[in-house]
Amino acid sequence: MHSLIQISIAVLLLPLLSFVILIFFNKRLPRRGDFVGVGILGATFALSFYIFWSVVVQSYDPSFRIAWDFTWIDFGNVPGVGPLQIKMGIVIDNLTAIMLAMVTLISFLVHLYSTGYMAGDPRYGRFFAYLGIFTFSMLGIVLSDNLFSIYIFWELVGLSSYLLIGFYFEKDTAADAQKKAFLANRVGDIGMWLGILILYSQFHTFNYQEIFQNLADGKFDMSEAWLTAAGILLFMGCVGKSAQFPLHVWLPDAMEGPTPVSALIHAATMVAAGVYFVARIFVLLTVDALHVIAFIGAITAFMAATIAITQNDIKRVLAYSTVSQLGYMVLGLGVGAYSAALFHLVTHAFFKACLFLGSGAIIHAMHHEQDMRWMGGLRKHMPWTFATFTLATLALAGLPLTSGFMSKDAILAGAIGFANAEGGGIYYIIPFLGFFSAMLTAFYMGRQIWLVFFGESRTHLKPADDHHHGHDAHGSHGHDDHHEEVHGVHEVAWNMRAPLVILAALSIFAVYSPDPLDGAKGWFMKMIPTPETVVGSASGKAEHGTSSANHNAAHLLAEAVPAVGHSAETDAHHEGVASEVIHEEDSHAAGHGDGHGPEFSDPRQAAIAHEAHDAHKLAIVISSVMVVLGISLALIVYVFRFVDPDRTARAIRPLYLFSFNKWYWDEIYQATFIKGSIVISKVLSWFDANVVDGIVNGAGALTRRVGFATGGFDKYVVDGAVNFTAFFFNTSGAVLKKLQTGKVQTYVVLLMLAVIVYFIYYFTQLIY
Amino acid sequence: MLSLIVFLPIIAGLVILAVPSSQKQIIRIVSLLAALAQCVLAVLIWQGYDAALPGITAAAGGAPEGSFQFIERLPWISLDLGSFGSLNIEYFLGVDGLSITMVILTALISAIGILSSWPIQKQVKGYFILYNLLSTAMMGCFVALDFFLFYVFWELMLLPMYFLIGIWGGPNREYAAIKFFLYTLFGSVFMLLVMIGLYFSVIDPVTGNHTFSLVAMASQENYIKDAILGPDSVMWRYVAFIVLFIGFAIKVPMFPFHTWLPDAHVEAPTPISVILAGVLLKLGTYGMMRINFPLFPEVFQASLFVIGVLGAINIIYGAFCALAQQDLKKMVAYSSISHMGYVLLGLAAANSEGMVGALYQMFNHGTITAMLFLLVGVIYDRAHTRQIDKFGGLASYMPVYAAVVTIAWFASLGLPGLSGFISEAFVFVGAFSAETTRYIAIVSVLGIVFGAAYLLWSLQRMFLGKRKPDAAYDLEVGPDGHEHIHFHDWKGKLDLDTRELVMLVPLAVIVIFLGIYPMPVMGLMTSSINKLVEVLSPVVMTALN
Repeated sequence: MHSLIQISIAVLLLPLLSFVILIFFNKRLPRRGDFVGVGILGATFALSFYIFWSVVVQSYDPSFRIAWDFTWIDFGNVPGVGPLQIKMGIVIDNLTAIMLAMVTLISFLVHLYSTGYMAGDPRYGRFFAYLGIFTFSMLGIVLSDNLFSIYIFWELVGLSSYLLIGFYFEKDTAADAQKKAFLANRVGDIGMWLGILILYSQFHTFNYQEIFQNLADGKFDMSEAWLTAAGILLFMGCVGKSAQFPLHVWLPDAMEGPTPVSALIHAATMVAAGVYFVARIFVLLTVDALHVIAFIGAITAFMAATIAITQNDIKRVLAYSTVSQLGYMVLGLGVGAYSAALFHLVTHAFFKACLFLGSGAIIHAMHHEQDMRWMGGLRKHMPWTFATFTLATLALAGLPLTSGFMSKDAILAGAIGFANAEGGGIYYIIPFLGFFSAMLTAFYMGRQIWLVFFGESRTHLKPADDHHHGHDAHGSHGHDDHHEEVHGVHEVAWNMRAPLVILAALSIFAVYSPDPLDGAKGWFMKMIPTPETVVGSASGKAEHGTSSANHNAAHLLAEAVPAVGHSAETDAHHEGVASEVIHEEDSHAAGHGDGHGPEFSDPRQAAIAHEAHDAHKLAIVISSVMVVLGISLALIVYVFRFVDPDRTARAIRPLYLFSFNKWYWDEIYQATFIKGSIVISKVLSWFDANVVDGIVNGAGALTRRVGFATGGFDKYVVDGAVNFTAFFFNTSGAVLKKLQTGKVQTYVVLLMLAVIVYFIYYFTQLIY
Repeated sequence: MLSLIVFLPIIAGLVILAVPSSQKQIIRIVSLLAALAQCVLAVLIWQGYDAALPGITAAAGGAPEGSFQFIERLPWISLDLGSFGSLNIEYFLGVDGLSITMVILTALISAIGILSSWPIQKQVKGYFILYNLLSTAMMGCFVALDFFLFYVFWELMLLPMYFLIGIWGGPNREYAAIKFFLYTLFGSVFMLLVMIGLYFSVIDPVTGNHTFSLVAMASQENYIKDAILGPDSVMWRYVAFIVLFIGFAIKVPMFPFHTWLPDAHVEAPTPISVILAGVLLKLGTYGMMRINFPLFPEVFQASLFVIGVLGAINIIYGAFCALAQQDLKKMVAYSSISHMGYVLLGLAAANSEGMVGALYQMFNHGTITAMLFLLVGVIYDRAHTRQIDKFGGLASYMPVYAAVVTIAWFASLGLPGLSGFISEAFVFVGAFSAETTRYIAIVSVLGIVFGAAYLLWSLQRMFLGKRKPDAAYDLEVGPDGHEHIHFHDWKGKLDLDTRELVMLVPLAVIVIFLGIYPMPVMGLMTSSINKLVEVLSPVVMTALN
């Protein structure tokens, strides 16, 4: 076993150990065992960082990959299949290494932060236990080498999310939110599960690599539509977990959980798992599936951004912003900007975690006030929070010199390239929605910064009943300091400040790339190159059978997955196969990357990569304009007050309400699926009790009737017949016994009589 | 060994017969000891079991040795019927991969049921005698390899069950007991006819006589070609299959023959519900796997789609009905119907993944449902009500109970990491891989969502939030400022007491362990299932013709 595998197993199991210790013994440990959680997570991060260092920094090999597995279930010699084993295993490649470091770092920082934020909570120890099982499950997703185990960990993060959203389960809103989150995720999961089933039914394996190899070899016997369906269904898992339209409704409600949880699970890691998963299966997605993914991502990014602009709850704004940013990542994968999407996943994780922890610091300092309308002027009181929050906001809005700028720009460049390569038309909707959402992002974040940190404190403006409500909703938090006046707001302690600073520092461009304008020059996008598809876009084009493209892809796959060609040999090979495959494609598309990004034998991927590269500068210009527009708008409305936001809202009231009420999705689902299910369940239950059981009882009653009837029949007819028979023989016996005299003479007479009777009979027969 | 494990409870019952009925504690302890000895024997059998041997049919040469294990075989009833030939009934026991898991499950659930029976005060002596009789009958059913002997044990179960529900049950117990009794009897009458028909159609290859041996019956070459249920008698074989299937389906219980189950559960005392859901229901699907399908493989192959559809109806219909229930126990009863649907679906897949999933689901459903009913019993003992709306916020006041409930509930909704998930997963894997049941599997996954819906909803209504205004308990604020709750006339410990923990913790450990590493149980069944799939496969049948 490779030493990195051993370390990764330790990384996986350490948080589980933390969970086990804390769930059973937290009340017996000093400080409720928080040091166990923080310490173990620190060690986990150290080990993960070692893996990251060895894999990404030292080896610096884009096709690095090691794997290990063991037999989990042995089915023996299965008829029709042969020996069948279900294996579990670990795979470490560059993506895994980066994700490990990212997840454990944020988890560690959130653990540390929680020692301040959650202090005094009656279930303080349990909180750290739950964080432990979450981290374990999340690392399981990252390390999985097969679909079955990723599904297991997928649902386990769902469980952790359920437990943590409902951490304050006494609140009905929290209990509702946790149930909603679990069920919405389950809906996505059944899709994902069906996708897994499609692939398993073909290849009898869950292992990514084996599935890809089989696909590349063209062993998929079902129709092309099933393969597309498999991709879309697997993507449904991401729709649930990454809160994509139409299953996004759970994520904003999940903000009922403690704020550190929102940062760790519902912003940085778990919700990004959907994107990570789509990246893992990226190579088997057909063109049609990718189109679906791209549109879902674009719609999500746009819709969530429009909702975020009118929300008043500081965490809800961030929640919708998270949905929107996840939409960007999904969009990025859909358009084939694989590296960019994953780049955005990582940059977003850091700056969004920073924003949530910052909002947590604000909420903590404001004594559990979450409504931005009653904040303001916090800049002076909380300078550290202000500085880090602002830096992270700039990254989210996508201003140059930040990490978010680079990654978002790369996605948008990919989107333009995709639309160009696909021949335009409706595909331009995707980059359009992307850029428009970028503007909205800049606007709502500008609004948030202004409302929270600038101006004067508006605490006194809060209506009394609303204040009461605020207390009630968040009162179960175990703090006794609600009565303090708000001018008692002060900066948070070091254990909450340090995570903010670290996360804000990771939002600066220099961490990822020397060129602030081009993420592709940085280490990240070099280390995470876009892999070559194994299903081939040629399948979408009529004349070329899937087989030839698949064959080529297979050849490449055998060399390296993810396949990247930089050596002269591979280049030559690429050109060779490309010329076989491509007839109608533009010749320039066939894989002459100018030392910039990967090259593809697949003509569609090659074309998109080429177009995206060309669109890079255009994307920078447009997105910068959009960001400036958005920020200017925010300044105009909230700083210079040229436009009164309230009056504007009244002027466009239907639009405002549409946004404020989150496009009415909750109401729509409530009226259709939830009501529908309850009605169906009531109807079926009635049917069960009255019709099915009615028939049973009816049959019972009928049997009783028949029983009584046969009883009567038995008594009078059957028994009567028996009695009659007895009576008959009795009587006839009494008569006949008189003949049995025992005297021979009588018998002789009788015999004679009989003979005479016989003769008479005989002669009458003769006559007639 | 098998005789011992089957008849130990009856021996305990005879001992109890000699104990005066005032000595309640001795009666309980004797029963518990017998049940624990049964568990020990089950472990010994498990240890001595060679998982490589296939079972299902005889080994090459027609003898069961080398295929089945722990065989005990004696002539039992031999009658010369003149021109009808002779009647040879054997005392024939043995285990293979199908039955060994069920033997382990039965021993485990019986022991837990005894613990759960501890608080019963009404006619303790009679109760435990009947309980032990039931225990013997169940175990006997799983290890009998002679159809007649199986039938005897099968019928023997009815009697104690009838009285256990009818005497120790709830207010409407007599209705429930008679419904259970008649329903099951209805199914078994036809089984008797089929059994006799089979007897005259099958020849034991070793002795050349007619036989009730299920081992001989499982090989189609042992059938007389022109007999009533021989290969040429297509129509009668269909009739026999359907009749047997209905007989077993009633036990499962399969829609539309399921309505006895919610009534029986609602009325039955907790331990009887545990036995009923934990073991008895499995006899239905076990009977299908042991008798119904391998004896009529060609009819089975022709019925796959129908069986799959019926399984899917069970899954979804059961889940919807569970969603509507107000009585917690009724909800759990409908969840049983839903979960047994997965077994039917897995069987309809007719491949190894599906059938292993089905058999594993039988085991897991046994342990998980036992937990569910025990947990329902815990709250019913305290509150004397099971109305879901009469609670609220229990997680704050009974944290240990809430934790165990959470484990059981999540196990039931198929959370990965807990055993129920693996069995359901492989049922789906199998059902989707088989083309006949592919679309049925696609529809049935809805059961995963609705299963989660009714379980999480009940969890929320009972355990989360705050106390409801009309809750079945009072809220008191102690001197330390902490809130406590108080049930009327409940003198015991508020949270789980030791006896309850002793019942629940082993089950929880099993559920978690088998969810992480299923091979200790799954490994027992794979070679038998592979053999069963082979016996049932159309390829083998065409080779015969």
